[in-house]
Parts: sequence; structure tokens; C-alpha cells
Amino acid sequence: MSKADALLDPNIGWLLLGAFSVLWIGLGIYWGRRNKSFEDHALAGRNIGLALGTATAAATWITSNTTMLAPQFALQLGIWGMLAYSTASFGLLLFAPMAGRIRALMPHGYTSGDFFRLRYGRGAWGIFLVFTLFYSLTWLVSMAMAGGILLNALSGIPYAWGMSVILGVCVLYTMRGGLAAVIGTDFIQSLIIIIGIVVVGFAVLSHVSIDAIHANLSAERPALLDMLFPAAIMAIFNNLLFGLGEVFHNNVWWSRAFAYREGVAGKAFALGGLIWFPVPIAAGFIALASGALNVAVPASDMVGPLVIAEVLGKAGAVAIFVIVFCSLASSIDSLLAATSDLLTEDVYRRMFRPAATPARLKSVAQYVTLALGIFTWAVCLPRIGTLASVLFFAGPLVGAMIWPIVTGLYWRSANSVGAVGGMLLGAGAGLVCYFAIGFYVGALVATAVSMVWVLACTRFSKSRFDWAKLKETA
Amino acid sequence: MTFSPGFLGLLVYGSLIWCALSAIGLTAFLVRDLMRGEVW
Repeated sequence: MSKADALLDPNIGWLLLGAFSVLWIGLGIYWGRRNKSFEDHALAGRNIGLALGTATAAATWITSNTTMLAPQFALQLGIWGMLAYSTASFGLLLFAPMAGRIRALMPHGYTSGDFFRLRYGRGAWGIFLVFTLFYSLTWLVSMAMAGGILLNALSGIPYAWGMSVILGVCVLYTMRGGLAAVIGTDFIQSLIIIIGIVVVGFAVLSHVSIDAIHANLSAERPALLDMLFPAAIMAIFNNLLFGLGEVFHNNVWWSRAFAYREGVAGKAFALGGLIWFPVPIAAGFIALASGALNVAVPASDMVGPLVIAEVLGKAGAVAIFVIVFCSLASSIDSLLAATSDLLTEDVYRRMFRPAATPARLKSVAQYVTLALGIFTWAVCLPRIGTLASVLFFAGPLVGAMIWPIVTGLYWRSANSVGAVGGMLLGAGAGLVCYFAIGFYVGALVATAVSMVWVLACTRFSKSRFDWAKLKETA
Repeated sequence: MTFSPGFLGLLVYGSLIWCALSAIGLTAFLVRDLMRGEVW
């Protein structure tokens, strides 16, 4: 997008980018001073309280997709679209009881990979690592790429510069501060995002009434108000399953379950889910107001910023820039930290250096974060625009891991044959349907096939797992 | 069958108020944790 088309003056964009960059890096360095070992760096000393725990669960799940895609969903799928997007919060809500159990069963655990290795053995562990690393790296690259594209669209900052700055800032403070910096900044970012959405929402409502929005939609796009909009109702199931699979397997969430103080994990995830639930509606309804406000929408993925800038002028453009920047940072830093921990714990320590000292592991985790940043930057620089489809491609892999995790956490009879078969058969069937039918059935089929296999293997298994094996110490 | 203006209003105002209460709640949790020395 050219500078003339951008919503915000590039100089103001650079000023905001510089100010927040200095703030996040400064806090990262400050909070990182107390980290002496890998446990301090990766899990913030396993002592996170309820306030920070709740905020980081909500903030990490509020990605740039939430603030940018929710309006697009509303514009395309109407009221059901906003509600469908909100169902992604069920991932956090349903993970709440699991997080408490994870913390109790694995008081010395570091990653979701530890669970697969100890619960199902090395075969299932290897498959899990391939699946989760593919998904995590794809998500990381798509977030960094979205950062460059959005900062360019909002302020005219060149794509390569915007992407490089936001990625570089997140790498720097995550390297220096570890999970403590990620969670600390998440608290501030979550407040900025939520307050920003509330202010912008009420400001838009001061320019147009709900009745006017409804009347315009009834006249111009009645399908958006339809209670039986088939595509929108299907989107509910798609979003729900995607959210469950992502939260249940990814080390972003498991690392938080390990990092929370005893007794906090369940409450923090449940409250995080409740905080997240209204965000897609509060951010999404703005798109429904575009018709009543006579705002031209040349690109549906920019409908939110366009309406806000049109109604609120420069202040609105500044607000959306800050909200998007915080949404991006709160997700990129979490992905960097969690993926770095996974590579350090599951690959470096468990495969190559079991005797590595805590200080050495901390140092390795920092270098891995840097390497992840460089890798992501190199992939993002050419600005290939097809990553959304790659992320959907990961849907079957994510869906196939739901049942091995849930049954493995609660049932002694869940076993490695079920887990390995469930992941491979589920992912295979899901991918076949992904190519044969469409992206929207991939996760659904993978979850269903994996469920049948895992439940059958569990039903006929004679083995009974000893939960004490999960209490492995370093 | 379509959603009514009342339902749309409930959804929009409800979500905005819910978000505002969330921000207040998070701040209150932080103050409570700070006073108890349980932030991290």
C-alpha cells in the first residue's frame, strides 16, 4: 500500500513503533535480570499469579487475526460470524481443568513434548514433535508476515521494515526476559487491547445507532441477519475444533500450565477464556456498521481499520495501530518462547545433552530464540502471500492430536498404539479430505477418525499407565 | 427469520461492557496479587 493510501502518517507510525519497541525491550531486560536457570527463563520460576496468568492466556489468544479477521468474519458471515469467532474461547475454557491436572501430574514438566515422551514413548513423541513444530513455525511465520503487511497498510511503513522491527523487538525481549518478559508484557498488552476495543466501540456507536445498523443490513444485506445462515453455522464448528486442537496440544499453553503457581492454572485459563469471549463481537460489529456509515470497503480484510479511521479520524487510526501492534506482539513473543523451549528441552536436552546444566540450557534457549527469529525473518522477507492456506493445512495435524492428549491425561488405559495410530490415521484422513473436499472439513475429519481409533484402542487395552511416571525430575 | 435490533444491541453493548469489566477485573486482580506478594 502506498503512503498516500495509508490511514496514518508514516512518521506517526514510526514514532509509535519506536516508543512501544523501547518499552517492551526495556521491560524484557529488566524482568530478565532475575533469570538464572532454564526453569527461570522458560517457566518464570513456576510462580505466576492469577492476574498475570489470566491476562497472558487472554492476550496470547488475541492475535492480529482476532482484531482484524473478526470484522471480516462479521462482514461476510454476519451475526453468526461474530458468534462463531467467539467460540474459539472454548479452547481456553475447556483447557482450564486440563491445565490444573497437567500441573498436578507433572510438577517438574517443561513442555507438551515431555508429556508425549513420558506418557506414550518415543514413537508418539517424534510424531508429535513433527506435527507441533510444523504448526508452530507456520503460525509464527504467518504472524510476522501479518505484522509487516498490517503496519504497511495502516501507516505506510514499508513491509520489510515493519516485519523486521516487530519481529526483532519480540526476539530481543523474549531472549533477554524469557517467559517472565512474555507474560509481563502480555498483561500490559491485554489491557491496551481491551481498553482500546471498548473506546473504539463506544466511539463508533456515538456516530451510528444499533437501529440504523440493523435497518441498513435489513435493506442491503439481509443474509447477515439471518438466523439460519448455513455457511456461518458451519463456521462455528470449524472454529470450535480448531481452537480446541490448537490450545490442547501447543506448548504455548502447556508452558503456561507449568509456569502458574499451584492452584492458579485452572482459574487463569477459565478467566482468560471468559475475557476473550466478547472480544471478536466487540471488534467485529464495527464491520456491520460500514454500510450505515457509508464507508467504502475495497478490501474486506481492512474493514475494521477503514471504519474506525473514517469515523474517528487520526485518533482512530492511532488506536487501531496500537491495538494491532499489541495483538501481534502478544502472540509472536509467546510463540517464540514456547517453540524455543520445545527445541531446547525436547531436542537439545532429551536427544543430545541430557546432562546439560540449568545455566547452559538457559543460554541454549536464548540462542534458539534468536535462530527462530532469523529463520522467520528469512522466510517472511520475500512476502509470499499463501501462508493462510498452509496454516489451514495444519488443521488436520492439530485435530488429530486432541484425543491422544485428552485420553492420555485422564485414562490409564490410553496407550501408545492408540496415540500413534490416532495421530497418523487422523492426520492422513484429514489431509485427504482437505484436498478432496475443502479446508473446512480437514480438522473435523481428522478429529473424528483419531477419536474412533484412540477410543477403540483404549477400550480394548489391558495396560494401565502409572501416573507417577509423569513426575520425572530433571 | 432474522435477528432483531434488540438482540444485536444486546450483543454489541453486552460485549463492550463485558470487555470493560474484564479490564477492571484484571487491574483488580493485579492490585490484589501485588498486596499479597503473589504477582510472580
